[in-house]
Amino acid sequence: MTKNQRLVYIALLASQAVIIGLLERAIPFPFAIAPGAKLGLANIITVMAIYTLSTRDAGKVVGIRLVLTSLLGGTMSTFMYSASGAVLSFIGMWAVHKLGPSRVSMIGVSVTGAILHNVGQLLVASWIAQTWTVLLYLPVLSFIAVLSGIAVGIAANYLLTHVKKLHYYRYLRESGEQPN
Amino acid sequence: MSFFQIVKRWDWVVIITLLLLSFLPSAVFSYQQAGISEDNSEFIAVISVDNKVIKEVTLTGNIGHEILDLDDIPCHDSHQIEILDNQIRMKVSDCPDQVCVLTNYISRPGQTIICLHHRVFIEIKAVQGNSETEDIIISY
Repeated sequence: MTKNQRLVYIALLASQAVIIGLLERAIPFPFAIAPGAKLGLANIITVMAIYTLSTRDAGKVVGIRLVLTSLLGGTMSTFMYSASGAVLSFIGMWAVHKLGPSRVSMIGVSVTGAILHNVGQLLVASWIAQTWTVLLYLPVLSFIAVLSGIAVGIAANYLLTHVKKLHYYRYLRESGEQPN
Repeated sequence: MSFFQIVKRWDWVVIITLLLLSFLPSAVFSYQQAGISEDNSEFIAVISVDNKVIKEVTLTGNIGHEILDLDDIPCHDSHQIEILDNQIRMKVSDCPDQVCVLTNYISRPGQTIICLHHRVFIEIKAVQGNSETEDIIISY
């Protein structure tokens, strides 16, 4: 990948994540048992970024997405929740991805991201509410996060195996030829 | 490619570890609550806005239907909080995500209703109630 290709690729991923995130906001979530839960489809992009870009560039994708989504339809408080969720889930996904492709697939990576996103948001919520009992809500959210994380992992896996360019970028990343 | 061809062994390790860890707060909480005996404990709902307690309602033994009209709660003009017997819920709110309304009735200690948008929190706590007789004995 040349430098320009990489820049365009980062920009494309970030913009796709923003659009997916905004569209997802329009879908009413059918699970009445877990208010506040959402599908987390934008996680597909983060998984793709982690598998095809260097850690620094994947971080850039997440950061751009975070700022743009908040600017396009959020308030200061929603920025804080999504920021803590995004940072925590990115660190977790990066760590799980480090286990290596022979041990974990994209499903493990995306489920980690989904669960840790909830953890990050609930931590901020409990910090603001000054009561850690908010965290008691975690098991329900985690259960749903596992389901949506598996779906997102399968989707990302299909994209990375069937879209030629993505497949090639992943090959570049894993063979270590990508300039950092 | 099917699901079982994609998934690898460590995926399950990671998923199950995280699921178990998510039960950790509940475990700590129930350990903490074990000190309060069931018989003479009372459940109260603490309603707070911006971390300032607005009102405390005793839920144990409460019978009937009541709608609280609290001016300090910014979620809606009026009639925001509904109490039915020993349960409490957020009835209406004008916040965008409606998480507080969807949470519906809560009645067990540790349960919370959270409105992040307006920073309104309703939390159910278990307190030791009717301990006057014990106090007298201790004071001797």
